Amino acid sequence: MATASKPQTGMKSAEKEELLRIEGISKIYDGTVKAVDDVSLTVYKGEIFGLLGGSGCGKSTLLRMLAGFEAPTKGKIYLAEQDITNLPAYQRPINMMFQSYALFPHLSVWENIAFGLKRDGMPKDQIAERVEKMLGLVQLTKFAPRKPHQLSGGQQQRVALARSLAKRPQLLLLDEPLGALDKKLRETTQLELVNIIEQVGVTCVLVTHDQEEAMTMASRIAVMSEGYFLQVGDPDTVYEMPNSRKVADFIGNVNMFEGVIEEDEPDHVTVRSLECIHYVGHGISGHAGMQVGVALRPEKVMLSKRKPKGDYNWAEGEVIEIVYFGAHTTYHLKLASGMVLKAQEINSTRDLSCGLTWGDKAYAHWSNEAMVVLTQ
Amino acid sequence: MSHGLNKYFGKAWMLAVYMFLYLPIVTLVIYSFNDSKLVTVWSHASLRWYSALAADADLISAVWLSLKIAFVSALMSVFFGTFVAFALNRYKRFVGRTFLSSMANMPLVMPEVIVGLALLLMLVSVQHWLGFPERGLFTILLGHALLGTAYAAVVVTSRLKEMDGRLDEAAMDLGSKPWQVFTLVTFPLLVPALVSAFLLTFTLSFDDVVLSAFLSGPGYNTMPMVIFSRARLGLNPTINAVATVTITVVTIAVIASSFYTSHVERKRKREMALAYSDAIR
Amino acid sequence: MAQSKNTFLNFFSGRKLIIGVPYVWFISLAAIPLLIVLKISLSTMETASVSNMVDWSKGWPSLTLNFSSYQFIASDALYVKTYLSSIKYALITTIICLAIGYPFAYFMARAPKHIQPTLLMLIMLPFWTSFLLRIYAWKTLLVNNGIINNALISLGVMSEPIAMMNTPFSLTIGMVYSYLPFMILPLYANLSKLDIRYLEAAADLGTSPLKTFWLVTVPLSKAGIIAGSMLVFIPSIGEYVIPELLGGSNTLMIGRVLWDEFFSNNDWPMASAVAIVMILLILVPMALLNKYQSDQASDKAGA
Repeated sequence: MATASKPQTGMKSAEKEELLRIEGISKIYDGTVKAVDDVSLTVYKGEIFGLLGGSGCGKSTLLRMLAGFEAPTKGKIYLAEQDITNLPAYQRPINMMFQSYALFPHLSVWENIAFGLKRDGMPKDQIAERVEKMLGLVQLTKFAPRKPHQLSGGQQQRVALARSLAKRPQLLLLDEPLGALDKKLRETTQLELVNIIEQVGVTCVLVTHDQEEAMTMASRIAVMSEGYFLQVGDPDTVYEMPNSRKVADFIGNVNMFEGVIEEDEPDHVTVRSLECIHYVGHGISGHAGMQVGVALRPEKVMLSKRKPKGDYNWAEGEVIEIVYFGAHTTYHLKLASGMVLKAQEINSTRDLSCGLTWGDKAYAHWSNEAMVVLTQ
Repeated sequence: MSHGLNKYFGKAWMLAVYMFLYLPIVTLVIYSFNDSKLVTVWSHASLRWYSALAADADLISAVWLSLKIAFVSALMSVFFGTFVAFALNRYKRFVGRTFLSSMANMPLVMPEVIVGLALLLMLVSVQHWLGFPERGLFTILLGHALLGTAYAAVVVTSRLKEMDGRLDEAAMDLGSKPWQVFTLVTFPLLVPALVSAFLLTFTLSFDDVVLSAFLSGPGYNTMPMVIFSRARLGLNPTINAVATVTITVVTIAVIASSFYTSHVERKRKREMALAYSDAIR
Repeated sequence: MAQSKNTFLNFFSGRKLIIGVPYVWFISLAAIPLLIVLKISLSTMETASVSNMVDWSKGWPSLTLNFSSYQFIASDALYVKTYLSSIKYALITTIICLAIGYPFAYFMARAPKHIQPTLLMLIMLPFWTSFLLRIYAWKTLLVNNGIINNALISLGVMSEPIAMMNTPFSLTIGMVYSYLPFMILPLYANLSKLDIRYLEAAADLGTSPLKTFWLVTVPLSKAGIIAGSMLVFIPSIGEYVIPELLGGSNTLMIGRVLWDEFFSNNDWPMASAVAIVMILLILVPMALLNKYQSDQASDKAGA
């Protein structure tokens, strides 16, 4: 999982200036259905915050409450220390880039971008100046007189971005910004989008169901499920140090061992599972005898034909499946316990096989620091 | 083999149905150019009945009255129909929503004799209490507008349903107050539907005889009322001439509008294709 | 803060206005008139003036109910016969429209995509031209010395004209002719959305075309069949203009009875009672239509 360079990540906590604060917000439909359940969150100036989750997890409802399209059942929203909970959408200094863009079909590109500025009663010459600037920013100057249906998907996306940035909002909301584009176009557009946002320096809340999109674009992400946050943190923290089985499972691929803590020392832990004994090279917040999960990412598993040394962190199995992805190959190893262990090997040479084929006996092994012990 | 048979059978069937639909219209038009006083016996071609029509003051004033009523009642229908469509579309929950939707559907399915009777009895009692309205232009307008509201609501509703609700939200997000959302986004996008609702309700009003007969007063005879009373008595070649004129106008209007819509649609498709090829280059 | 409260209030009153306007419109022009019809149907000819709709003589509003009109309808064989005859003609019209319209809509939906709009426009075009004039046209075709009889005689098919006008035949032709588009349009809307892959799947599983039609196409177009049938059946029951112009005096239709009670006999209670019974007759098919329309709507919402 590649994480693109993000200048904001290096920020020290002392420099962080709070922009958006959500306090215990809930949205309950029909008195029983909890779409958003007591969520609190702080977003700092200049960051791109990603809300990641499957469909129906509540991320869109949360976004719509920020935009002002839904009133929260409970809780408060503050923007720059001002309570905006009851402010209608048209008075919030927040703009949104809509899923599938919602460009006004009866207005030209120019008029779409000018729409919000006109509502603010900005003088005509200033509007023209601002629109030109925005068109330049998204490189669509020569498309100004066109109607939305005369543009390609990528161009429409840039118009939507320009329109939502034109009013210089304090907070920009992005609802599945790349969802309507095909896969190839997505990668380039993603980088363009991040570049423009950084150029403008606007704070963003991004909603997506695509973990790759969230990890490459956002400086911090929240993994959401059933209306609440499972984990909030930097993309690499969430990926490498998931705090629960759910998060580990949701983000990327994972091998999950179920086991019991045998030794619980400050500098190491051992966990006995059916498959093997795990030696974890750091302390955890648990105790001996505790039931835990051990999460191990496939790319951290190495394969060999020879039996590894030592008593820890290896398992023996039979190769039952080999899936070739081009850049890497995933081997499925069936262990004696019945568990299927996935191991991802990078195809660093053009000689693909590491000598393994279907039905071969093989040993999987991994380092002391490869896995995460999950207590919940 | 059976597929080919199916194909010929289908074509023959469709042709037969179209002939059934157009036979009366075509004979009506042909016989309007017949010189004979007998509508059904061809003598030779002439424009005799057109000059008779031009001299028929009763019929011509009835046509004008019908046009006036149709225009105003269509405007009223579109106005109230739009309200109905918005109320039922935008607000999924309010007291009496089912009541409102069934009241709005009522004129669509209720026989016109009942609608006419009910409206007349109501208007008579109102007139008794308040001294107005006198039966005549205004009462016919109300009846036609009631019927038209139901039809206009159907047309506007179907357009509202297919409209992207996010457009309204986008307008609000960019700072439009609710009334600005309507005037700047919803209304412009609704115009084509409002135009077709207007045309439909105009036609309904221009065509109506039952409601008019119930609601009209002395001196207010609409074109269908005049035609109906003459047709009851027997055949009359002047009616053929009137029919030919209306059919010609309507046919030209319908064909022109369908050409226009298909032209707009084609242009739009071409531009979309162009946009994508632009993007690839 | 005060400003935000204010705009919320504005928004709320906007909602009130949007719901309130059609509410007032339909209550005053649909609900109240129907209640007045009900009230007058329950009075006698002598008391049926609008001046004493509600009796205030006792100091509070009171209604005197009188069922004589209904008793008369129930006891007079002619009324019962006329209701039954209206239902019969409506049923015949519906069945013929379905028999003609279903194959038509089916073939239209299978026609090449680019000519479908034209085919549809040709169905709509008569609908836009005056209904009254089209019924009148049938009169010129069907009378004894009319165009059809004249043509047949001059071709030597027969020597005497056939009496077609003012018969159940002329009435049925006029009704089928007028209501056929109402059958075709919902059927076409339904059949054109039918996914061709269902038919291909049926063929792939070894079903013959005719069986596929009965087992797949017809059941899937049930909603269209019901909508079309109701749109023909319901207005047919109360039809007035067609029986008046084409039906002659021997074809009994309840719409004409209502008209005559009102305009010829000036018997308002009787006309109202006839109307109320007609409404009761229509309620059943109307409920059916509503149910299928809302079912379709919720199907769409669920998809």
